[in-house]
Amino acid sequence: MLRIRNLHAYYGRIQALDSVSLHVRAGEIVCLIGANGAGKTTILNTISGLIRRAQGEISFEDGRINGLSPEKVVGAGISQVPEGRQIFGPLTVLENLQLGAYLRFKNKEKAAIEQDLERIFQLFPRLKERRTQIGGTLSGGEQQMLAIGRALMARPKLLLLDEPSMGLAPLVVRDIMNTISALRDSGVTILMVEQNARASLTISDRGYVLETGRVVLQGSSEELLNDSDVKRAYLGKDYKTFWEGRGPV
Amino acid sequence: MKFWNGENEQMVKEDLEQVQLERLQSTLNRAYKNVQFYGRQFDSLGIHPNAVSSVEDITKLPFTTRKDLGDNYPYGLFAVPLRDIVRISPSAGTAVKPVVVGYTKGDLKVRDTITARFLTAGGVIDTDIVQICLNPGLSGWGRALKEGAEHIGASVMPMSHMSTSKQLMAMEDYRTSVLLTTPSYAMHMLGVMDAMNTDAKRLALKAILVVGEPLTQETRGVLEAAFHVDVTAGYGPSDVMGPGIAFECHEKNGLHICEDHLLVEIVDPDSGDPCASGQTGEVVLTTLTARAFPLIRFRTGDLASAVAETCPCGRTLARMTGITGHTGEVLTIRGVKVHPAQIERILKGASGASSPRFLVHLYKEKHLDMIEIWLEITDAIFSDEVKVVEKALIRLRQQMFQMLGLEAAIKLMEASTLDRYAAPSGGVIDDR
Repeated sequence: MLRIRNLHAYYGRIQALDSVSLHVRAGEIVCLIGANGAGKTTILNTISGLIRRAQGEISFEDGRINGLSPEKVVGAGISQVPEGRQIFGPLTVLENLQLGAYLRFKNKEKAAIEQDLERIFQLFPRLKERRTQIGGTLSGGEQQMLAIGRALMARPKLLLLDEPSMGLAPLVVRDIMNTISALRDSGVTILMVEQNARASLTISDRGYVLETGRVVLQGSSEELLNDSDVKRAYLGKDYKTFWEGRGPV
Repeated sequence: MKFWNGENEQMVKEDLEQVQLERLQSTLNRAYKNVQFYGRQFDSLGIHPNAVSSVEDITKLPFTTRKDLGDNYPYGLFAVPLRDIVRISPSAGTAVKPVVVGYTKGDLKVRDTITARFLTAGGVIDTDIVQICLNPGLSGWGRALKEGAEHIGASVMPMSHMSTSKQLMAMEDYRTSVLLTTPSYAMHMLGVMDAMNTDAKRLALKAILVVGEPLTQETRGVLEAAFHVDVTAGYGPSDVMGPGIAFECHEKNGLHICEDHLLVEIVDPDSGDPCASGQTGEVVLTTLTARAFPLIRFRTGDLASAVAETCPCGRTLARMTGITGHTGEVLTIRGVKVHPAQIERILKGASGASSPRFLVHLYKEKHLDMIEIWLEITDAIFSDEVKVVEKALIRLRQQMFQMLGLEAAIKLMEASTLDRYAAPSGGVIDDR
């Protein structure tokens, strides 16, 4: 569905991505894990068109999408849920959701949009209860649901999730992860960036591990969860002792 | 079951290429970062892993040779800390130092998968009784085959030191349905069966899978007719990786390469340039999923060619022919790779300062490769006392076995006899 080859991206003179290749098949949840600054969010922003000056090849459903503007990328069927939710604080829940369907309003799909609203309220009953509440007054978990709901209003085939669990309590993280699983079951393909490697690998099919802008490992989630390197670096099992450097001793 | 990994063995070419590129790039990133040898080699040539933007770009990278493996003995080529290694697997190698290959838990799982593909393609299923007969020099493979067959769920009789007649007795009594061995040992078994007046009809065999040596059409024909079974072959370089990284399917028409786990190139042994499809050249391997022991463009010394057409069996994995020969001086004896220099070192150790003149004589006896060392009689080895000479020879034989995992006969010869062969010391007379 999504195929990326040799992606290079720069912030000024600093190289953020160095020849990254990855793919996502229809119906998969794929997660990108890695430390801060490894380039995870840069990959999502490059796909969604927020960063447009990148080299390499991004194709989505057999068409190249590099260099397209964000709204064209949304039109092609890719929606992004940005890091930190970024919902419209002063607007109500309903207004936030309606804005997610902005492109479709222009295409006069009113009836379909109403149907989708219902679908999203089914998925997130909490949002239905609070449809008239001001977005900024929602809890963190509710805001994340709203952000995901808003992205879904564009009827994406591929959803890009940036740190969906950030700043949420462990129980809420579990809710969000269950929701993401349910979304996949409803036919949405998901590419997700997460600091919480354990939670995200538990619900995803495959993963890529990034280090300083490069992919250093990929595999099924089961393989990655059992990988000693991943355990040490990202699953909080840092039992390396003082005499042990990197590489063979 | 026709495939072990149907989805991966029948991948569309475009998808396979994407997977190969992703895995190649991350392998290079890991090797460059974690293995000093690769880091230095890349740096000295001014190459960075990001120079590889397609699978074809692999030709920009330098080769890794058996000498490099020996030079980095023991752990120099490991890409993970030792604590992540769960299997350390030594083999004689062909240089002064042996070759040590490490595996992580994940690596062993991958090897099981690859071996299971090979065995499944040869007809092995979970209800089979699998008997493994390999010589000690191939014990690393014996383990890989045992684990692969167990992974499928078959009942496995691992390799043992039983004599051929005992092996045959077990084969009959245990109702063995699959035999895993070398082509020459299978032929040898046939000879022993004839001598024992045993009929193949009393066996429950349905398939023989062979590794270690090239399988000729003639040998296949003889074995299939005599045992009433299908005979298929697997390929792997005997000192690194597994025995079935490429394997035949029931079409018996070339060996499918596990392309999702490793890249195979066929190159001109002299220039190192890629060979055209169908042209014979040296097999060069690059691992795509190995964590502990990544190999980049490893020159196997084995000669083969690529098979271009797609296979009717449904696998999309590319194919290569069986091994047709070897480059350079490396000999394959009963599947074990031997370099004449290794023999020279043993002789040198026994006789002191310099190695006595010797020739290596290879011949077949009852279909088995036999190795004889013809040694020139010198004062360093020779003594007037027969007992002393015998003792020295026994010790040499033991050292040969320990080093190579092969029984070698040692014959003392007059200098004038050796002169007749007009070969330099260490020369090989191959009568096979």
